[in-house]
Amino acid sequence: MEQLSEASLQQGIKQREKGESEYRLVWKHLSRNRTAVLGMIVIASFILLAVFAPLLATHDPISTDLGNALQGPSSDHYFGTDELGRDLFSRMLFGARISLNIGLISVGIGLLFGIPLGALSGYYAGKLDLVIQRIIDIMIAFPGILLAIVVVTVLGVGVQNVMIATGIASIPIYARLVRGSVLSVKKQGYITAAKAGGMRDSRIVFFHILPNCIGPIIVQSTFQVATAILWAAGLGFLGLGAQPPTPEWGAILSRGRGYMRVAAYLTTIPGVAIFLMVLGFNLVGDGLRDALDPRSRNY
Amino acid sequence: MSGYILRRILLTIPVLFGVSLIIFVIIRLLPGDPAVAIAGVHASQEYIEQVRQDMQLDEALHIQYGTFMSNLLRGDLGRSTFSRRPVTVELGERFPRTVELTVIALFIASVLGISAGVIAAVKRYSIFDNASMLFSLFGVAAPVFWLALMLQLLFSVHLGWLPAAGRGTWMHYILPSVTLGAASTGLIARITRSSMIEVLKQDYINTARAKGVMEKSVIYHHALKNALIPVVTILGLQFGILLGGAVLTETVFAWPGIGRLLVDSLLARDYPVVQGAVLLLASVFVFINLFVDILYAFLDPRISYSQESE
Amino acid sequence: MKRLFLVCVIALLIPAAVFAAGQREPEEVRQEIVIAMGAQPEALDPIAMASAPASTVGEHIAQPLIYLDQEGALQPQLATSWEASEDGKSWTLQLREGVQFHDGTPFNADAVKKNLDRFLDPESAAPYRFLISEITEVEAVDEFTVRLHMDEPFAPIISHLSHSFIAMISPASFADLPKGETVDHPVGTGPFKMVRWDRGEQIVVERNDDYYGDLPQLEKVTFKFVTEDSARVVMLETGEADAIMRVPPMDAQRLEGRDDIDVVYASSVRVIYIGYNAVMEPFDDPKIRRALNYAVDKQAIIDSILGGVGFPSTAPIVPAVFGHTEAGPYEYNPERARELLAEAGFPDGFSTTFHHPTGRYLMDSTIAEAVQSMLADVGVDVQLQTMEWGAYLDFVRKPPEEAQHSLYMLGWGTVTLDADYGLYALLHSSQWPPAGWATSLWADDRVDELLDQARITPEREIREELYEEAIEIIWDEAPWLFLHDEGQINGVRSNVKGLIHHPLENISAWDAWVE
Repeated sequence: MEQLSEASLQQGIKQREKGESEYRLVWKHLSRNRTAVLGMIVIASFILLAVFAPLLATHDPISTDLGNALQGPSSDHYFGTDELGRDLFSRMLFGARISLNIGLISVGIGLLFGIPLGALSGYYAGKLDLVIQRIIDIMIAFPGILLAIVVVTVLGVGVQNVMIATGIASIPIYARLVRGSVLSVKKQGYITAAKAGGMRDSRIVFFHILPNCIGPIIVQSTFQVATAILWAAGLGFLGLGAQPPTPEWGAILSRGRGYMRVAAYLTTIPGVAIFLMVLGFNLVGDGLRDALDPRSRNY
Repeated sequence: MSGYILRRILLTIPVLFGVSLIIFVIIRLLPGDPAVAIAGVHASQEYIEQVRQDMQLDEALHIQYGTFMSNLLRGDLGRSTFSRRPVTVELGERFPRTVELTVIALFIASVLGISAGVIAAVKRYSIFDNASMLFSLFGVAAPVFWLALMLQLLFSVHLGWLPAAGRGTWMHYILPSVTLGAASTGLIARITRSSMIEVLKQDYINTARAKGVMEKSVIYHHALKNALIPVVTILGLQFGILLGGAVLTETVFAWPGIGRLLVDSLLARDYPVVQGAVLLLASVFVFINLFVDILYAFLDPRISYSQESE
Repeated sequence: MKRLFLVCVIALLIPAAVFAAGQREPEEVRQEIVIAMGAQPEALDPIAMASAPASTVGEHIAQPLIYLDQEGALQPQLATSWEASEDGKSWTLQLREGVQFHDGTPFNADAVKKNLDRFLDPESAAPYRFLISEITEVEAVDEFTVRLHMDEPFAPIISHLSHSFIAMISPASFADLPKGETVDHPVGTGPFKMVRWDRGEQIVVERNDDYYGDLPQLEKVTFKFVTEDSARVVMLETGEADAIMRVPPMDAQRLEGRDDIDVVYASSVRVIYIGYNAVMEPFDDPKIRRALNYAVDKQAIIDSILGGVGFPSTAPIVPAVFGHTEAGPYEYNPERARELLAEAGFPDGFSTTFHHPTGRYLMDSTIAEAVQSMLADVGVDVQLQTMEWGAYLDFVRKPPEEAQHSLYMLGWGTVTLDADYGLYALLHSSQWPPAGWATSLWADDRVDELLDQARITPEREIREELYEEAIEIIWDEAPWLFLHDEGQINGVRSNVKGLIHHPLENISAWDAWVE
């Protein structure tokens, strides 16, 4: 969703020394931002619901009861039952785990490959940079959700493969981001000094360069979690999402669309849940971006 | 500067070459025998063998790729295994449908997004600011097919204002393009807002104000022009992303675009169409990126062009 | 600035208002209808046709020699009569006289020969060539007589000739084409002429005023391709479509309440089954195969998932097919299932995997989930595995030494309405993959013998008896977990009358009119 052009990235990244007070400052700024706080509350609630899903669930999320299908919300089934008589409330709770996992793991995959690629390419420059850059360009050339669709078709249907697919699709974004940061940091005096002092490259990259890129990486990751959750839903719509009976939100939503006119809650509830979670991550991402940017902080 | 541009143009060649190789390899990694998938559930063994031969599936990969590339360089993308028509013809019919949808979607998104962003920035922290930013997030946060289905229900079934699906009159364009552009609207609004806030703090704006230039004029003539620079680059990228992401919208609204063609062909293992469509979308996207970067270089003289060559 | 925003919003809303106003135009009955279907034909040239949508649209334009009506009877169409030779190795067909193709060229024996030769030519690579591949020579005896020669008797040939893919198009339209190339716009003899094809969007046909039969009342029919089920339903409700195919069961119940829409329930020729891999333990034991048949409540699936549309299978083919015998259904009896499992040495059940497609058959993955939980009740622990169609088809179509499937869901439409097409292909041991689609890898010598015999016996009564015995054995041996005979649900605006809802999942418009 949020793809920034190379040029604008390099321009936007401001390197600075970070200390304990820096983080406190960011937090202070963030906690004063009403929408960001709202976002954090939303995310925190979903995390709590996900963690305590087994305690809160009123029914088994996958046991079916055909005689009790498509019953609207009631005191027994808070969110009603789906087309197989399963309790939607319990499915949504366990689904929160899956959707959060999809977001976090796919970001993890993106970071795991994107950061080293970007760091290598930015730090060593030269031929290596040129090659990595072209690989990144090739990956980026698959616009939007397209790369995820292709990857999941190759790997097969299932939640894990959805995570991998959305993760792979985010690699180039991180690689570009990190490369840009590294490029702008490595010309700093203290880096040159460290090099001259004979410090190993890996040490310089890990302890002196990467910490300076953490801000933009966190911001990007926040948005990326949101994107992954949305893409998982989109893949589900195309029949390439989670394996039934997995209660993944996107799967519940795309399955429920067949009942949109007779049992609207089957789409409204997962739809609103996805919306709120994605909204939460976006609000926090916006807040973080403001908070990490010293230019917008001083008002 | 012209060196930079030339360099960027030359670099697209290996990228496009790489894209063709990657897509060629990836679709051959797809699980399942494509000949069986293509021949279908009633097919005879004889026909499956025939398909396998026609698709050169028994040849070594590098030979298949060689044929593919040499045909490609002659502008021949092969024939669809299903319709048996030239892929170039199929793409030629479907791609413009997606482009027209995307252009309209982006137009609507820019008009709404930029207006909302500017107002939000000018009336910062007002109710309007918060409301329009929350509203703009609605488009970003709702799963696009869900949004599509709800808009369809509201405007076609309940209000009866707009046609539900298909293509024909100009009214058929409204729902699909609004849906497709929803996420971009939000993005553009937010970027316009933050960019505008940034610009409004600049010295020259204060100077203009101090000189007694009317506030309206300050905003329109001085601030907006500069604030739109990042918006323009986002527009370019969004165009490419929407082209690739239109499949969901196209499905709900039965829009005969290239996204649906691509996904159908992928699921049905129509290799020539998949190859052709991905290659087309990727090339367009690569060129848009190129164009955006060059445009950015013109618009914002602050970037240095030496970094690529370091 | 606020004003600017408002202006923009209004500018975007005006068109909607204009449209709303424009909708209230004076009523005038036009003999035109729009039919919305789920997918686009891949092609309309007979040598490239391969799907139900191709058949639905195609039969309006180009016709086969013989018509299979919705009762399952073979009716004269371009051929007026047909007769087998004594030895059953050749068939003679009399052709209708005075018929013209849409381009004005005459329909005659020469045209039939050119069409069939082209269809049979291996270089044409017609997907459905196997339907008539037994024909060794097409002979134009005189202007309106054609004789088809075969090496061996092949009784189902006449049924096969009624398949809508073996349609007659004007030889002039393909005379100059290189071999294997196809025509985009078929020139047939049908009641409608092809006007345009906007790919991915619609096909428009107009009345053929020179039609040899009863002239259709409709002047124009538009077939629109709308993948998303709910979008088709909405189009029917708003009147953008006059008829839609494949109404989701849940929406059907809702639409029934509207007086401007008729919901049409029609039979189909497709059976949905869960195959066992019969060479793999424990499914090599018929007791296990029967046990699972007793464990699944098919009526409950039909009632609660399919909205009551469909019937529990009573044979491996649907009742409309020639040769059908009512052998079942297996009643829902979990007790009996547990007993059989115990007898087979699995009193506590066992674990296995169930592969199924998604979005291919009506409610397929939902049905798979229901089956999973029913089997769990008798102790059989089933792991579901969805596969995307392209991968799935190859996965189940594997010879015994490579086969990895245990339980798998498939459907089969016996589109010729002749038992041979359903039973031979799926249950004759010669058709084990890679040769054919007998994916359950089950074999029975007696069944093989009966099916072989029925193929070469021209007398219909004898064939019927042969199929009856075969079906009884198949039912008892249970190579499948028999699920249901699929039904089809179409929706039609109530001012449109006379559409034919054919069991082959076609909607035909030549007898229809708008009131």
